Amino acid sequence: MKSLRFILFLCVLLLSMAIITPAYAQKEIKIGVLYPLSGAMATIGRDLQRAAEFTVDIINNKTPGIDLPMAQWGGIPSLGNAKIKLIFVDHRGEPDRGADLAKRLILDDKVVGLTGAYNSAVTKTVSAVAERYGIPMINDASTSPDLTERGFKWFWRTTPHDNYFNRDLFEFLKGLTEGKVKGVKAVPRSQLQNLAYACENTEWGSGVAKSLEAYAKEYGFTIKKGILYNANSPDLTSEAKALVSVKPDAMLFASYLSDALLMIRTLKAMKANTNLLWGQDAGFEMADFAKQLGADINGVLTRTVFIDKITKVKKVAGQLNALYKKKYGDDLTGATARSVVSVQTWAYVLNKAGSTDPKAIQKACNEIHIPENELVMPWAGVKFDSKGQNILGRGLIGQYQKKPDGSISLEIVYPFELATANFIYPFPGWK
Amino acid sequence: MLMFVIDALLQGILIGLLFALVALGLTIIFGVMDIVNFAHGEFLMLGMYTVYWTNYFFGIDPLLALPVSAILGILLGLASYYWLIRYLLRGPAIAQLFGTFGLMLFLQYLAMFLFSADYRMIDKGVLVGKSYSIGPFIFDRTKLAAGLLSLLSFALVYYFLYKTKTGKALQATAINKEAATYMGIKTDRMNALAWALGGGTVGIAGGLLVNFYYAYPMVGILFVMIAFACVALGGFGSIKGVFFAGLLIGILVMIFPVFGQLIGSDFIGPHFKFTIVYLAYFIIVVVRPQGLFGWKN
Amino acid sequence: MEKLKDAFDFSDFSKVERVCFYVFTVFLLVFPWLGVGSFVKTVMIQFMLFSLFGMGWNTIGGYGGQVELGKAQYVGIGAYTVALMMVWWKVPFWISMPVGVLIALGYSFIIGYPLFRLKGHYFAIATICTSLVLKDIFDNWNLVGAAKGIELPIHDHPDFLYMQFKSDTYYYYFIMVLFYIAIFYMNWFRKSKLGFQLRMIKDDEDAAESLGIDIRWCKIKAYSIASAFVAVGGGFMAVYNLYIDPASVMELSLTIKIALMAMLGGAASMWGPIIGAAFLVPLDRFLGSWLGGHKGLSGIDFMIYAMLIMIVSAYQPRGIWGIIEQFRKKER
Repeated sequence: MKSLRFILFLCVLLLSMAIITPAYAQKEIKIGVLYPLSGAMATIGRDLQRAAEFTVDIINNKTPGIDLPMAQWGGIPSLGNAKIKLIFVDHRGEPDRGADLAKRLILDDKVVGLTGAYNSAVTKTVSAVAERYGIPMINDASTSPDLTERGFKWFWRTTPHDNYFNRDLFEFLKGLTEGKVKGVKAVPRSQLQNLAYACENTEWGSGVAKSLEAYAKEYGFTIKKGILYNANSPDLTSEAKALVSVKPDAMLFASYLSDALLMIRTLKAMKANTNLLWGQDAGFEMADFAKQLGADINGVLTRTVFIDKITKVKKVAGQLNALYKKKYGDDLTGATARSVVSVQTWAYVLNKAGSTDPKAIQKACNEIHIPENELVMPWAGVKFDSKGQNILGRGLIGQYQKKPDGSISLEIVYPFELATANFIYPFPGWK
Repeated sequence: MLMFVIDALLQGILIGLLFALVALGLTIIFGVMDIVNFAHGEFLMLGMYTVYWTNYFFGIDPLLALPVSAILGILLGLASYYWLIRYLLRGPAIAQLFGTFGLMLFLQYLAMFLFSADYRMIDKGVLVGKSYSIGPFIFDRTKLAAGLLSLLSFALVYYFLYKTKTGKALQATAINKEAATYMGIKTDRMNALAWALGGGTVGIAGGLLVNFYYAYPMVGILFVMIAFACVALGGFGSIKGVFFAGLLIGILVMIFPVFGQLIGSDFIGPHFKFTIVYLAYFIIVVVRPQGLFGWKN
Repeated sequence: MEKLKDAFDFSDFSKVERVCFYVFTVFLLVFPWLGVGSFVKTVMIQFMLFSLFGMGWNTIGGYGGQVELGKAQYVGIGAYTVALMMVWWKVPFWISMPVGVLIALGYSFIIGYPLFRLKGHYFAIATICTSLVLKDIFDNWNLVGAAKGIELPIHDHPDFLYMQFKSDTYYYYFIMVLFYIAIFYMNWFRKSKLGFQLRMIKDDEDAAESLGIDIRWCKIKAYSIASAFVAVGGGFMAVYNLYIDPASVMELSLTIKIALMAMLGGAASMWGPIIGAAFLVPLDRFLGSWLGGHKGLSGIDFMIYAMLIMIVSAYQPRGIWGIIEQFRKKER
């Protein structure tokens, strides 16, 4: 009799599982969004989710006060004003979970496309699934250069990747020696020749390190010391000392938040001195970095993609930011702004494709061109090359500067023509 | 070069004092009960959070908030003992292992749920961010304070164990449980005391640590592994042992990258400085299981 | 030949158990055709994969009586061997997988020898250390991709040489085959000489020794078998996910999951690891998927696991299987 009960139990289990499979409405275009909504990256994941929801709201409902075509659409025009529905899933930073969820989105929820996933490792597995099933994926924020080197036909990326950003740095250094930087006379090459870097040793940081080495060679600088360290290390004294010991003219970092904080504090405790200190976004760009270190970061440079200062030079950015701030209380950041761009790109692509057929979308992606003035980002636009990489993207280099009232604000110093303040040189350091 | 070595040595001693304090609780619990508390790192983590939040909400200087984390540690230790460990003792060793493992996971996820995964470090305090220069050597004031307070805590624990009646009773239970019971020392109470002491010391350690390292839910794992290495090196159950072992491991962690620099190797570098600790544990327990001063095996 | 039959002989299980097993087998066979959606299918694949891992762990952790927490390193060895051989030399899966198993075996002997001088807690912690050391090395070793990991190139059509398929159904049956091979092997194992020796060692080590059993050698053999199992699973992961890095195949959290499932289900029993996986994998995947969308509740499922573990280890160290057995004893 026990076996009969067991069989009965199985039947109930089966039935309940079949019911879980959702039924769906008709006039909606579904796009799957994979973000880390719980676990270690939850805070950023939730921010990205908000930004995406915010953008899709503007597209689906006529929003006054935003000078963007899509704000007047009220749905996707070429598809009968069908609304976009974002389906969010939480991959928790685990690549295999991300892949499984991607399959669910594609096969069960029948999405027309994907976006996400923030963590490069998860993006890799998710995009592999998309590639297999021939479903388009537009990636918003993963900057590992590898992602567009795979020869995938169903993967596009709006954000510039790390190599672009690293090149920006060297363009900046070169410009510094040529007197192109606002507020500073040309700096002799000898003052900037020797560089040292410390990058965290996972996928991202080690990629940056490789890129720095390559560009240094190309631009004629010397890397005196290069360190890869463990981002979770409780102590970075040895690393910091190793850097300081070679007396570099510039210190370059690729760090997440916690190690960035630790590194700066350690360097400060050692009263380290150098001419230029730069961080490759991530930790250096986060609000907490400025909040926790305050005046200590006066003069620190960071690569960034979007700062609120942009809102002053780009009208559309200002409008979107104001609306976002009104709704959620925070400014847009580099990460959230990119989330906005990816949803926006999806909308444009769908509109251009005029259909939800994957091949039509693929063609639209390969041909899309979003002009500069319709983007919240300070980019020249969105246009993908044959590898799926947006070639009109641009990074910014910002410098933290202490204001007379004691507050710290991030000013743009590169591109040179967008500079919002005089560059502080050399790095003031800590006395 | 010599400067670097001496500097590494000194920094190593400083951080080693803290490692020793973290490991102290572990070795006490093991000495008395033969249980390895896998959740030890999480007690540390909660100690860190306690001081952080006390500082954040009440503006109390982190050093003054130490008693709070000590008390929290004691309570945590007692709660763990009475609500979990006591039941585990009835079962086989595998159950004990998984029980404390479960506790570890539970506390980690609880912290993640309550405090989110954000990193938190103290930034307001009397000593925070300041350093002392002695000749060519620069020391973080918070680390100096941590080292001194560790030393003090060790002295206090030592005094308690060797000079007070209760302390000696605890030792008796550690040496021979049955014989101690015949002498009227209740094992159950000694066990609870061991956990209270273990929790309290690591709570203090956490409170000190959060001054120069950030708190996040998973921070315990790294430190518990270091603590294991200290306990193994010093000899499971030995107070003196864990003290010196802590110093040695601290020095090892600091000297290792300098060593790499000296021989000009890129492979031996700071990224392996904790790997070397894990390796050390392995080598120690295989080659000399009783550690430096161990009498328990 | 007598011995091989043992693998298929389940007669020493009760009738109920056997019927359940047969019904379950039928259920698994027809499952992909029940139209339950791809996500559920992926959950089933994960379930079988973790059962495989769990059964492997069980060899040394359950039957062998030595809780070890370093399984992840073997998952990594299996995964990386398959991935690297494919990326570097285009070696088909059917060759690289056995190579991976051989490497895992070799490695387990090398570290097993000193490792088994230890017992109990010392041993457990030492196994954690070895796993962490290997992960750290892989994290920094450029030859194997360091932290960037290895991406396996996508092959178009159903590719049996490299085990690459578009549809999950293929993978489902593939892992199912591995799953059953594991079950038959475990069935054979527990009746084999080594199985009996391990049981004796577990019950009374001194007695075993007096009978001339080389305790250390037995344990090392069990440990190596466990490693081989787990390496196979690792190889599967490589061709299933098409991307591996130290964080996904060598992390401590993976080891913990494996050991936990086996222990929760009931270590030292045949069905224990399977039950444990059947319980925890869906819990993890479904709950995680459902909760992910709800802001306030994230992370609660993790806490539920942990509580379960504590409760089970406090009250029924022999896991769910132990609970089932208790019920059965009461019924009689």
